[in-house]
Amino acid sequence: MKRFALAGNPNCGKTTLFNALTGSTAHVGNWPGVTVDKKEGVYKKGSEPISIIDLPGIYSLSPYTPEEVVSRNYILDEKPDCVINIVDATNLERNLYLTTQVMEMDVPIVIALNMMDALEKQGDKIDEKELTKRLGVPVVKISALKGTGIQELMEKAIESSNEIRKGKTVLEGCEIWHLINDVRIALDGQDIENPLFHAIKLVENDEIEVAMHQNTIKMVEEFKKTFENELFGTDFEALVADARYKYISKYYSPLMSKKDKGVKLSKSDKADKVLTNKWVGIPIFLAILFAIFHLTFSENFLFLGGVLNDEWVSLSGTAFEGLFGSGEGLASPGVILFNLMDVITATISGWLGAGLESITSTPWVLGLVNDGILAGLCGVLSFVPQIIFLLLCLSILEDTGYMARVAFILDRIFRRFGVSGRAFIPMIMGFGCSIPAMVNTRTLADERERTLTIRAIPFFTCGAKLPILAAVTGAMAMAFNIGSADLITYALYVVGMAVAVITILIMRGTTQRGEIAPFIMELPAYHAPGFKGLMIHLWDKTKHYVKKVFTIILASTIIIWFVSNFRWDWTLISDPSQMNESILASVGKFMQPIFTPLGFGSQLGGLGWVFAVAAILGLIAKENVIAGFLTLASVILAMFTVQPDILVNAGVLSPEILSQIEALIASGEFGEEGYEVVAMIAATGIEWPGLISFIVFNMTTIPCFAAVATAKGELGKGKIKWTLLFWIATSFIASAITYVFCTMFATWSTWSIIVSIVIIALMVFAILGIRAYNEKRPLKSK
Amino acid sequence: MPIALAPVGQTLKVLKVTADENTKRHLEDIGITVNSEIQVISRSGRTSICLVKNSRLALDGNLSMKILVA
Repeated sequence: MKRFALAGNPNCGKTTLFNALTGSTAHVGNWPGVTVDKKEGVYKKGSEPISIIDLPGIYSLSPYTPEEVVSRNYILDEKPDCVINIVDATNLERNLYLTTQVMEMDVPIVIALNMMDALEKQGDKIDEKELTKRLGVPVVKISALKGTGIQELMEKAIESSNEIRKGKTVLEGCEIWHLINDVRIALDGQDIENPLFHAIKLVENDEIEVAMHQNTIKMVEEFKKTFENELFGTDFEALVADARYKYISKYYSPLMSKKDKGVKLSKSDKADKVLTNKWVGIPIFLAILFAIFHLTFSENFLFLGGVLNDEWVSLSGTAFEGLFGSGEGLASPGVILFNLMDVITATISGWLGAGLESITSTPWVLGLVNDGILAGLCGVLSFVPQIIFLLLCLSILEDTGYMARVAFILDRIFRRFGVSGRAFIPMIMGFGCSIPAMVNTRTLADERERTLTIRAIPFFTCGAKLPILAAVTGAMAMAFNIGSADLITYALYVVGMAVAVITILIMRGTTQRGEIAPFIMELPAYHAPGFKGLMIHLWDKTKHYVKKVFTIILASTIIIWFVSNFRWDWTLISDPSQMNESILASVGKFMQPIFTPLGFGSQLGGLGWVFAVAAILGLIAKENVIAGFLTLASVILAMFTVQPDILVNAGVLSPEILSQIEALIASGEFGEEGYEVVAMIAATGIEWPGLISFIVFNMTTIPCFAAVATAKGELGKGKIKWTLLFWIATSFIASAITYVFCTMFATWSTWSIIVSIVIIALMVFAILGIRAYNEKRPLKSK
Repeated sequence: MPIALAPVGQTLKVLKVTADENTKRHLEDIGITVNSEIQVISRSGRTSICLVKNSRLALDGNLSMKILVA
């Protein structure tokens, strides 16, 4: 099968064309750097199937960031049968700069003149026939978005791929053409492929080329001694870049006839006057971020709680009671989605449970299916619509082109913490999932900045951690009557971001010292998000979550149920008083002490080990925390609805806790969000500072197996073990501090005040220490 | 004068780029070469948004001090 590669500037529509050609659903966004790895698909609409490879966007074949290396290497080493060079017609000169470089290789090329619809809308025209003549390669007008011209493009590409093409350059008239030609002949004599391309890159002093051709570079160095240009000296790369642009503006640009001569401020520029303003830019961004979380989590949407009639809001007495609101106020779209899904999963699991009971009455089978699998899976599935809603909001931000602006306005602030604003984009992607976010750090040019960002990404609470926050804070609000759950949730998101900032500052002061990378980013024109693109993106994410629920989470719930119902000698626990003899309990109790400083360790009585177990399970995948909770909670509940007294007599539960749980059951709150967790809280006697610390631990520790594997691949060699250590240390320190401070505010006990003071003193000492060290050993400037 | 201090809305010519080798090459690739045209379209503090070859480029404050124009 023939292979065609798509190459072009960032954000010129490569992935849109890729999707149109292959029917794929690859992620498209409106900012430079969405595609960071090559993607393959098959074009089937032609006379023969053709493999299409989408490459990351590049401005030039001298890579600046790691993802650009992918594109260069593919075109050079994998030798596609044709390169389809996509050129954004609305930005002809800059896009043709890459074209002049690709043309220097001995590979068939077709130019796809994209965004013709936008160009024609402006009233501008391009003479593509003349451009074809002057470039010497076919030029086809297309609109990847509308799907026009694509068939013709592919016909031309197939035609070209059957011919052999020799590299051609626009540099023939330039001052150093003699040198280039001599180097080309020398390389050709060494049987090197693409001699013209390599010769020019070598003359440009390209790092990769110099390392490859140690002998030939001497020719260039010799030549430099005898050469002097008044403008560029011996800076050949500048000379070559200048020659390319001059050629383009002399021979190619005049083929474009513009309706409006001169530069006019576009709508995007006008919007940017406000959105990137020094004073209001950041407040606007924070307001948008708050709005997103408010839409996703709020139980008191638009703060109308006090205004509206409770009965009317909660629809009490109807079949929809509580779906769209409660006593607190109107539910936000995210919460409504959760409520609906919760009803659906509860109904389905009810049917399944009843169906099963009609087939069998074996207690362990019923227990496994009802308490083990259904409770855990449904609990996690209920959150999927809410997670998807959050992702939808983030995708809209990506699609409009606003993300690039936020990166720009945050650059000034980020710089003080030690990273450039570019790092913001992978970080905000972390709110969705850490894995694509970590991969996206390839758009960062600086190695240290990449390391810092990859390590900090998990602190941006991902979708899989959303259920932990929502369920545990919901249960907290219910169990301890404190404030509203959504406010605690927002606060925890902020805590995560604060941890990111603090750890970046610390690493920049210690292990990752160095200059901060410059910020250079193209700001794309704003456009309205496309419905189709958004849906494709969301469908992909939904598939990912649902797949995870039915694989890794399903397996985990089954294992949890078994180990919590069997003893080490593989006998089934039939009597609830023996719950603490289970395999899980003994493992949990063994691990429990290490969490004592964090508030969910040995200080908890009875079934307190469940928190230790949940925290450990979360290292595999964060959905496991809630799935595990729910599985265990239903096991516990099933047990003491049968024989509560035995539990008390055996010392598993204290009489006070038992009465609390009984009151809970009697109150009928069993059916509201997080009730299982309320039961769990009651059964373990944990206090709210311990719960907050438990959430913080899950937010800041090793994210999940998949993210660890990604980080291992993305980080340089040998860095993963330090990164794991970093995550573990951060989570222990952050949650211990959280626990101590929360306890202080909860109790004002002497010990908590003393420990808090000691912690603050240690922090001040550490800051002063790092500063003193850095002053003593200043960095050598480049 | 550096881009960071140049007047907004005027077409300017790039005289010199004093950034490090890698950054300079990248700037050349995206169209900021000696003698090329550039226009500042908005600025906050020293950070600037510039019009280069019909695209909008955002540059941080330090870098804006390293691109000299007239």
